[in-house]
Amino acid sequence: MSEIAAKATIKPARRRLLAARLVPYLLLQALIVIATILGLRLLQPSDPDDFALSGFSLREDGATHPVTLPHFTSSRYSLADPPLYTGAFTFRRGDAASGWSVFLPRFSNAVEVAVNGVVVLDSRRDANANRPDRNTPQIALIPASLLRDGSNELTVRLFVWGPLKGFLDTVYVGPDAALRPAYETRTLLFVTLPVVFSAWQSILAVILAIMWLMRRREPVYGVLAAAMVLGVVQAFVPPPVPPATTSRLASVLLASAPTESALIVVFGVLFFGWRWPRYGTLLFAPGIAVFVVGLIAGPPLPRILFLLLGIPTVGVCLVLMACVTAAAVVRRQDAASFTLGCAVSIVLTCWVHDMLSVSEIVTNERIFVSRLSYSAMLVAIGAGLTWRFARALNQVDSFAGQLVTRVREAEERLKASFAREEARARAAALANERTRLMRDLHDGLGGQLVSIVALSERGHEGATITDAARAALKDLRLVIDSMDDIGGDLMLALGSWRERAAMQLRPHDIALDWRVATPQGLPLHPELRPWHVIQIVRILDEAVTNAVKHAHAGNIAVTIETLDADQGPYGVISVTDDGRGFALAGDCAAAGTSQTARGLRNMRSRAARCGAVLDLGSDASGTRVRLQLPQIFPDSDAAAS
Amino acid sequence: MSEQGETGEAITILLVEDDAPTCWRLQDALVKAGYEVRSAGTLGEARSALGEATPRVLLTDLRLPDGHGVELIREVRQRFPDTEIMVISALGDEESVISAMTVGATGYLLKDAFPTDIATTVRDLVAGHSPISASIARFIVRRTQNSAEPPPGPALNTARLTPREIDILWGIAKGFSYAEIASHLGLSRQTVPGHIKNIYRKLEVHTRSEAVFEAVQQGLIKL
Repeated sequence: MSEIAAKATIKPARRRLLAARLVPYLLLQALIVIATILGLRLLQPSDPDDFALSGFSLREDGATHPVTLPHFTSSRYSLADPPLYTGAFTFRRGDAASGWSVFLPRFSNAVEVAVNGVVVLDSRRDANANRPDRNTPQIALIPASLLRDGSNELTVRLFVWGPLKGFLDTVYVGPDAALRPAYETRTLLFVTLPVVFSAWQSILAVILAIMWLMRRREPVYGVLAAAMVLGVVQAFVPPPVPPATTSRLASVLLASAPTESALIVVFGVLFFGWRWPRYGTLLFAPGIAVFVVGLIAGPPLPRILFLLLGIPTVGVCLVLMACVTAAAVVRRQDAASFTLGCAVSIVLTCWVHDMLSVSEIVTNERIFVSRLSYSAMLVAIGAGLTWRFARALNQVDSFAGQLVTRVREAEERLKASFAREEARARAAALANERTRLMRDLHDGLGGQLVSIVALSERGHEGATITDAARAALKDLRLVIDSMDDIGGDLMLALGSWRERAAMQLRPHDIALDWRVATPQGLPLHPELRPWHVIQIVRILDEAVTNAVKHAHAGNIAVTIETLDADQGPYGVISVTDDGRGFALAGDCAAAGTSQTARGLRNMRSRAARCGAVLDLGSDASGTRVRLQLPQIFPDSDAAAS
Repeated sequence: MSEQGETGEAITILLVEDDAPTCWRLQDALVKAGYEVRSAGTLGEARSALGEATPRVLLTDLRLPDGHGVELIREVRQRFPDTEIMVISALGDEESVISAMTVGATGYLLKDAFPTDIATTVRDLVAGHSPISASIARFIVRRTQNSAEPPPGPALNTARLTPREIDILWGIAKGFSYAEIASHLGLSRQTVPGHIKNIYRKLEVHTRSEAVFEAVQQGLIKL
């Protein structure tokens, strides 16, 4: 449940909730503890009691006294003069179908076994067998030549290095066939299984380390990987046997257990999403202390320190971990915290079991199970994390799938809206075009048709009506022509205009002199729109009409050229006539008729609308209209409104 | 004054135009120029007139009361290959002129042309000079430019035009005179009208099946 919800509820309700969740969890943990204890009982391997040898005489520190195995001896720090157990067994050559063996299920730390004074087994050569945290059994075949019919002597030298007490479990001597299965069972449980777990751990360590390397912002993977690496190193590096000089390595290995357990606490805190408290680093202090002491001091001291500091630290860490998981269970109520909580309970139970065993409160065969259960827990955690990672991947997959669907939907919506927008734009363009067409038709054709109507009504002589009608037709052709796509080449529009102008001038016997000064004519204008073309052509029409009607010219020259000042090329169209000209009064009023004045004003305004510059020059020798086109035609018809 | 053909006889013209004033106007102009003109107001009248005598020149409007001028042009083209055909158009727009061209017309005449121009145009046509306007030239050359989808307007196969013919069309579209085009392209001025006539011929689609073939060639029809 969310923290916000927890904070929002009032205290009694919260306490009730806490109780409602914590009590069942604690009951479950109690059940698990009981199950663990029962499981440990069941785990005790059965030994072939028929061949047990428990009556021995122990010679220790110069004194000899009878003992019954299993037996604890005092802790010691010297390998000189080890405790010597001496016992006897009876051998009859008759039942020696197979060879006889001596089987030692549990001892600490090392043994040297001799039959009739000849050493048959020295466990010091097997480094793993000497580790007190492993429950390694030993078996040795007794050479037949050593065995005597009747009573034989068995001596066991027990090498002990402190601070733990020495321990020797019941010794079994008998036919190898009878002893071997028990030995195999123990080897499987206490040698092979830890190796398997350690192998798993090493694999998981690699996987988690890779995860952490790829996802640095999740240190939880890195912490767990570090813990596992430590565990693997501790499991596979053989501890040196005293009096080996490599005690420093031993101290490093001793420091691994408390460090590892502290790392596991860090993992738990991070895994459940809590902030790691600053004083939490103190958890690493015992490990570091053991490590430092091991580097500086001689062999016994780090081991003593380990016993005093390291093992309690492991316990403290386990208890902390149990608290952390309990809190997580209360808060989150999810499978991960439940599982982890149960695993911690099992390990804690095993640790307590081992502590009781070390302090001889519980007398069993001194089998330590912490390490085994801890390894199992780490493997479980690693598997859980991998599972979580895979689930996260699945979530990412499904998220990606959703994303793809969403993107497709959005794309479709976008496409639809784009189509709508396009249709709207097309409609708008059409409306604009219609407006323009209407304006153009109104400017030219409409007026001319009205003029025709008026002239007809007044019974005018045909010639004037003809002129008006011709002008109307010409204008209609201009409007239609200007709608054509000329690809920005104004020359194409001027080509048609030339034909119309020539046709208009022919009855008046006026020659149209067409001069294209530059080979390409006019520069290309990709931005050229029909309404630009209409304005330009109307200006030219007006100029020609003026020359015909008012100037009585005999020759009209149209010059088309491209000029290039510094700022790029621009076109210039000039219409020159050899008529009598007219006096320009002021800016736009001509001396002639008011019609001429209006015509000139129109030409200027049309030129301004397409960004062109109109120059008029007129004298007795003729009139010159110079239209300088812009380098870029304006996009909007600014002066139109 | 009488316009005479190569055999010395008067040139006969069949004028098909349903609008009476326009018809009178054109007829007056042509008769004044010495042509022998018969006129028809409908497709049916035109067909019966064709049955009586073969005209040297056919002048026809496209929109007729009992059919479309294109049918008449196609018939005449097939039956009388020597007859020059001209379409009469109010605006000289590519829609009417090109569609007439593809069935065999080799010229066009504006309805409002001045009487002298009307006579000149017909004389030129008989002399083998097909008129072509800048806007028609422009329409054709724009069709020669490759574009993803064919521009609107009547279908036109420009595949058979030579680069030289396309250059001439460009010149006409840009308003250059035949003389200017000839000097730009290094031709003799007299050869230009012949080129234009060729252009008309090449754009003509002779039969219906050929029209389909051309359309497939150009990707206008997908089989």
